[in-house]
Amino acid sequence: MSIATNQEWKPKIIVFTCNWCTYAGADMAGFNHFEYPADVRIIRTPCSGRFDPIWVMRALNRGADGVLLSGCHPGDCHYGTGNYYNRRRQTIMKNMMQFMGIEPERFQTSWISGSEANKFQAVMIKLVDDIRRVGPNRKLRDAR
Amino acid sequence: MKEITSKLQEIATRLFNEGKIDVFLAWEKGEQEFQTKSYIAHSVDDVKNIIFNEYSIYNVSNALLKLRDGHEKIGIAVKGCDSRGVVRLLEDLQITRDRLYIIGIPCPGLKDPLAAARSFGGLGKKESDQGLAKKCLECIQPNPVIYDELVGPEQTPRQQGDRFAQVREIEQMSADERYKFWEDTLSTCIRCYACRQVCVACDCRTCIFDEMKPQWVGRETNTTDNMMYHLVKHAHMAGRCIECGECERVCPVGIPLMLLNRKLIKDVGELFGGTEAGLQYTEGAKPALSVFKENDPDNFQ
Amino acid sequence: MKVLSKTKLEAALNKLSESNEVFVPMQKKAQSGYYPWTSFVSGDEIMLEALNVYQSPKGAVLPQTEKMYQIKQGGMEIKIDKTFEDDHPTIIFGARGCDVKGILAMDEVFLTRGYEDSFYKARRSANTIIANACYEPGSNCFCNAMEVNAVDPAGADVILRDAGEAFVWEVKTEKGEAVTAIIADLLEEKEVQLPQSKPFNQKVDYSGVAEKLKTMFDHPLWDKLSASCINCGMCTFVCPSCYCFDIQVKMWGEEGYRFRAWDSCMFEEYSREAGGGNPRGASKERFRQRFLHKLEFFTERYGTPLCTGCGRCMIVCPTDVNIVRIIDAVKEAEVNA
Repeated sequence: MSIATNQEWKPKIIVFTCNWCTYAGADMAGFNHFEYPADVRIIRTPCSGRFDPIWVMRALNRGADGVLLSGCHPGDCHYGTGNYYNRRRQTIMKNMMQFMGIEPERFQTSWISGSEANKFQAVMIKLVDDIRRVGPNRKLRDAR
Repeated sequence: MKEITSKLQEIATRLFNEGKIDVFLAWEKGEQEFQTKSYIAHSVDDVKNIIFNEYSIYNVSNALLKLRDGHEKIGIAVKGCDSRGVVRLLEDLQITRDRLYIIGIPCPGLKDPLAAARSFGGLGKKESDQGLAKKCLECIQPNPVIYDELVGPEQTPRQQGDRFAQVREIEQMSADERYKFWEDTLSTCIRCYACRQVCVACDCRTCIFDEMKPQWVGRETNTTDNMMYHLVKHAHMAGRCIECGECERVCPVGIPLMLLNRKLIKDVGELFGGTEAGLQYTEGAKPALSVFKENDPDNFQ
Repeated sequence: MKVLSKTKLEAALNKLSESNEVFVPMQKKAQSGYYPWTSFVSGDEIMLEALNVYQSPKGAVLPQTEKMYQIKQGGMEIKIDKTFEDDHPTIIFGARGCDVKGILAMDEVFLTRGYEDSFYKARRSANTIIANACYEPGSNCFCNAMEVNAVDPAGADVILRDAGEAFVWEVKTEKGEAVTAIIADLLEEKEVQLPQSKPFNQKVDYSGVAEKLKTMFDHPLWDKLSASCINCGMCTFVCPSCYCFDIQVKMWGEEGYRFRAWDSCMFEEYSREAGGGNPRGASKERFRQRFLHKLEFFTERYGTPLCTGCGRCMIVCPTDVNIVRIIDAVKEAEVNA
């Protein structure tokens, strides 16, 4: 699809991170000058247990092309158990949104810890790559 | 059905006389022969209006939501699906067990008063004649799962074949085909919110769709806002839907809502196991998404 | 008399659709309502011979969602750079007397008493109503008690009368003449037998109800009547004369638009105020408001009841709330002077 390879189109990707692990990982990636595409916009929340599937839907609705939710590894949640609830919730919601016809690449989830700066960089690069491949999002877009 | 009616009246009279209840929730005759509505009896004098007939399909546990803040003792007559609704409310801590005296009625399958009303009222095309309601033909639990007294013989589930057949059919389609299917189906939604009001599991005091600050889902009836509404509503049903089928029954435009609910029931069952929502009451039990196991399926990067 | 043979109906609709958006009562799979003729696809059915359809034609003059104006914000300035008043010509083809009365009631609200709603006005002045005279009341109909003449509906520009093989085409107004001219060559001059009017199945007596309701605001009757209502709002969506709406804004960054959408007095947030207070927080209060509006407030203000006797609410209500029984209950109620 020409739009995807057209250098004019810059994907808009929202990344929700938990404060204690993934955000720290992102910070460390920045600190170490690991480069990753600037198309991702990071929003910090206290814990991945806070992640609400409606954010993903609303992001796609309001113009995002993809969303990533990322938190601490299971067993390492700063608050103990938040990410366990997140895991169940997002697994169900990913299935649900695919059932409605949203491409699986557009709603991704990961576990990235505070010291995994390399992983953060790798996940961001892969994310932008995936979104570039599937192209601009037209589904669930609000009427303008 | 007549015996069940007289049994219900007998039990209600006894409970009122013994002072065990302040109100009794059941059904009463509606205005036309096929209309049976929900009913709250406030005293022994009201008991004569209580009936149970082939149109008593309305989910009475929904009426409990109006009484959740009070202290009255409540007698309630429930069928299989209704009793799952009671379990839902107990698990969600919306009502306490000690306030309820539950009469269980194993359900033989009932007819849909709304379908009869449409045919009789002359609106739109005349529908072919009334057999059992669609939700009754798909019933997996006609016997009450929680009760203090049981009235009537045990019934067999009526669901034939694969409960998730239609879900699997859609899962086989490509992403774009799926999106088109849901776009076409949900674009007819008129956002009347009847599905939300009649649902027992929708027990939030302020619904997310009524929030203005911020407003999560727009009020326009365009396709995307409609899809957002249904996606969000069903997201809140994950692991909580009791499969009573009322939402699909009352929908004025015939949207296959149970298809979305069954997808969630299938996924929750396959991924997390455990009993399905509302199928049994254990004190302190929580819905599937409010608990976790350390070895839950994990496909995160 | 002028007649339109039923074999020429589709041709007439096609001809009218060349210069108008023609709303025709149709069954589309599980839905029935008034849809544009151009949206007819194989499998759909025209429902002119059925009693009525689920959704009323009010959407032609008051659509469920309509854009109002476009906004651009620049710093401290707000610019409205486009309004969406829509005056493209429309025709409602085959509306029953009850539905026509609903639109006339909305005319009173939106066009009189000093304020003219420009969006409604634009649509309504470009709208022509071709009514479908009703000779056989349905089991839930009671329009005769609500000041509607089913056989000769007031406010129609043309009246169709179903005479078996053809519709009698009776022009009533200048707008009707204009529309007739478009299909003049499809009409024939013929004498046909008009059908006989059948009697109503239910007797409803509305006389004195409005006056009595004025004294019944705090009557205990409302507790009992509202007990089963779950405030789902279906009644308001299918009612031909319900017109409550909400105005909301859709913004992205500095641009956006204002739009109007149907709302319902049955919903809790309809009457929620800016500070969070709500004069109709309880279900019973909203229930009472709906019936007082239909049966008392509107009569007091405009001289005619807002309920048009179409019976749709009684068919769609999942808990069988019945306006006729409410009228009866009001008549029988004891009121302390």
